[in-house]
Amino acid sequence: MRQATRAAGEIFLTLGVIGMLFIGYLIWGTAMRADSAQHQFTNELNTQWGQAPAVAAGSPARPEQFDVATGQPFAFIRIPAFGPHWQFTLIQGTALAQLDLSPGHVPGTQWPGQVGNFAVAGHRVTAGNPFWSLPSLQSGDLVYVQTKLNNYTYRVTGKQMVLPTDLTVLDPVPGHPAQRPTQRLITLITCDPAWTGTHRVIVTGVLVSARAR
Amino acid sequence: MYGWLWHRLPGGPTVRTSTMTVLILAAIAVLWFVVFPWASVHLPIDMSGVD
Repeated sequence: MRQATRAAGEIFLTLGVIGMLFIGYLIWGTAMRADSAQHQFTNELNTQWGQAPAVAAGSPARPEQFDVATGQPFAFIRIPAFGPHWQFTLIQGTALAQLDLSPGHVPGTQWPGQVGNFAVAGHRVTAGNPFWSLPSLQSGDLVYVQTKLNNYTYRVTGKQMVLPTDLTVLDPVPGHPAQRPTQRLITLITCDPAWTGTHRVIVTGVLVSARAR
Repeated sequence: MYGWLWHRLPGGPTVRTSTMTVLILAAIAVLWFVVFPWASVHLPIDMSGVD
């Protein structure tokens, strides 16, 4: 009896330690993996972009073609409201395999600067918590997207909470699948509440400036 | 469980302690690099992707 009690105690203690280790993994393990991926993507972009033809910075935006394979980086995103050092790469695709490394471009939505809706999704927690502060963005906050050729600036115009099944927020005219888009929008997506997948926070913005890099 | 393992390990206290440490570290490595990555994908933590 005493032996059985003791064995049970050891098993529960072990499970408790494993549970704490798992929490540590979710916070630090996934962040380390995302961090090393961010370094690699940043290097890839800097190498690719080194060959871009130079123009005077601030010239009008140059036409751009995006032909990006799933999992490959194509831009940087900066949101000063999240802090001066907050910068992530953007990669193509938003399956877990991509979100675990970097915020991603939702396939089928428009690309930076295009007429329609450029949709970006990122983890709220884990993978370095890229979109932890997304729900605190205010109208007027700026979102900078830098591509090989151009700098795009979006201004946040609104925020809403939807169910994960509500995919109309990804439409070229959000919520109106049949309408033809005239505006150049960005949509940022993450989870709410943190640590669960029950809802999505949707932040929308409109392009206010597009300039050559 | 641990007592049982301890009594079955060969060698003196020093050797046993080292063997125990290696076993525990190996178990942690398997958890961290194999079990946890698998579990984090299959548990409903944060979102499971957007299509």
